Amino acid sequence: MTVLQNLPRKKADPVQPSMLIAGARPHDDQTEALAANIFKDFKSDFRYKEYVLGCINCGECTTGCPAARFYNFSPREMLQIAYQDDPLVLLDAMQEKIWACCQCYTCNMRCRFGNDIAGIISVMRELAVKNGLESAKEVLKPYSRILLVVMTKGTQVSPDMIQPDFFADWGPFAVARQTDMKTLRKAIPVDVLQVTDSSWEVSMQTSLELFQIYKEAGVVDMLKSIDPDLVEMIEDIVDEWREEFEEMKEKYGIGV
Amino acid sequence: MLNADQIKDVLSQRANARIYSDKQVHDVRDEMWDLHDKGELVVIPIEKKNKPVEVETLFGWKKKIPTDYLWHHKSCGQCGNIPGYPSSLLWFMNQFKTNYLNEPHQTSCTAWNYHGSGTSNPIALAAVAVRNWYRAYETGTFPLIHCGTSFGDYKEMRKLLVENKEVRDKVRDIMHHMGKELVIPEEIVHYSEWVHVKRKEMASMVKMKMDGITATVHEPCHYYKMVPEDAVYEKDTNGGQRPAPPTAVVQALGAKVADYSTWYDCCGFGFRHILTEREFSRSFATLRKIKPMVEEAHADVAITTDTGCVTTLDKSQWIGKSHGMDYMLPVLSDVQLAALAAGAHPYKIVQIHWHSSPTDKLLEKMGFDVAFYKKDFSNYIEELQKGKEPEMLYKPHDEMEKYFAVNKGHVIIDN
Repeated sequence: MTVLQNLPRKKADPVQPSMLIAGARPHDDQTEALAANIFKDFKSDFRYKEYVLGCINCGECTTGCPAARFYNFSPREMLQIAYQDDPLVLLDAMQEKIWACCQCYTCNMRCRFGNDIAGIISVMRELAVKNGLESAKEVLKPYSRILLVVMTKGTQVSPDMIQPDFFADWGPFAVARQTDMKTLRKAIPVDVLQVTDSSWEVSMQTSLELFQIYKEAGVVDMLKSIDPDLVEMIEDIVDEWREEFEEMKEKYGIGV
Repeated sequence: MLNADQIKDVLSQRANARIYSDKQVHDVRDEMWDLHDKGELVVIPIEKKNKPVEVETLFGWKKKIPTDYLWHHKSCGQCGNIPGYPSSLLWFMNQFKTNYLNEPHQTSCTAWNYHGSGTSNPIALAAVAVRNWYRAYETGTFPLIHCGTSFGDYKEMRKLLVENKEVRDKVRDIMHHMGKELVIPEEIVHYSEWVHVKRKEMASMVKMKMDGITATVHEPCHYYKMVPEDAVYEKDTNGGQRPAPPTAVVQALGAKVADYSTWYDCCGFGFRHILTEREFSRSFATLRKIKPMVEEAHADVAITTDTGCVTTLDKSQWIGKSHGMDYMLPVLSDVQLAALAAGAHPYKIVQIHWHSSPTDKLLEKMGFDVAFYKKDFSNYIEELQKGKEPEMLYKPHDEMEKYFAVNKGHVIIDN
């Protein structure tokens, strides 16, 4: 305990990097301005102080990291980048590397400083989305169907997503039975699970409340930065539901 | 493995220091009750009617596990791709005459999306959590979280709401706009903890042959690596060095639990990876998990307690054949294995046909007449296709509940 407590910790003054983290891409004034803005938001996020506590480059985090085995990715490097004060290097990491993280929290469990490395990577991802970085757009391109379900029903996946074209690697037993998905869902002895377009049937009131949360919490605006067309589609769906909801209130005589 | 005295030493040192790094951890539940007393939030209490059972967590802190009047906080991944997971759980609750609600008035925690894509933020995540918790609160039930990620996320949200006034105020405002209050459950409880405290009752129901079954356990990362201090440990299971669920239930059922070198590794789910970068997920799952489970532990089945882990370990195996890795290890949740052990219908209740890796061999080893059950289920499907009403675990919801969260206070089974 004593030894660990005496290890060097983050001070209020900027820390000089112990080594230069290379890899920043060629940049112009516009990139520099973007990097400076992101850096400011990153360092002033209320989670930064709680998540980034110190680092001696021991690499324990990377030793247990699943992503480090298959990607050019290291949680140690991510923490070092978060710890130091180089906006361009931060921006560079946000262009690609942050998306390799599995969010398994193994690094957190292994870190003797108690850093929340998975958490600080999440903060970087949020900023990548919020600032509409090309990397975020690219990474999330095949993800739009999922975003549509999570924004409208809050359930992320649906049985009818497992289509043979996209999930061939899951084998014939995972996809062949999609031919009679409706009956197979009906054979689940739980009424709310007997749907194919969502994990379970979500009531309309619940969906509308969820969208209200997304709107008030700023998630809808955040999503506009990477996919404005998707947001427009979601808003159209929700508008239609609002109308139907009012009709149903009248039908059932409910003052919700 | 450590001897009994060494285990005792480790546990008491851990309890005294309250550390898992050099960062001392405090119990956020104490502050939560202070805020409740000040009127800043409402704690959903675990009451006598919830019939709580006490367990210990990482530092020896006490945690109450409610066993009755429960609100099922379903998992989007389980319900979407592994429906036998929740149906096995509900089946057991019916056997135990447990009062519960399983409603359409729930969203997921949305944290799968957050961890995969970054398209959310702490305010939204916390508000989604509170909206779900509030529904349990207003119906007089207590939330039981099916998903490991929801369990981890909700513990993070509890901490955030307790420690950050700005977040708390903002979330309270959003809730007030919807006519709801800021509530936090007295405990965040994972379904595997309910299974854990019910394991002796489950064991008493075992009808199938379990003594020849060897299982390997994969401990879900978001159960014990995310907010580690709240996971259940006990000295008699895994020497107190790894979480007690699901090892204790598998052993109680009469199966053998075998160790393997990479027990600590994640499954390879990766949130976004399992959907859009599966070359990573399947490589990791096969090489780091399935291979050692089969080659080192000679497992008949892999058991885990989370949505993503069952999906990844199960679905990632088929493609391994192209590299000569034909492991085909069945992957089930603890509650599915328990339901099978108790003789539940493998297809109608345990819904084992949704799993990709073959399970026939396991079922035969447990003593099931696989051909009979397959034929029986095939007949049932034909009947459904002809318009027969499906068999249900509880009375279906009224049509109006497709729209409105009515039916307040009504619990599905009332003894």
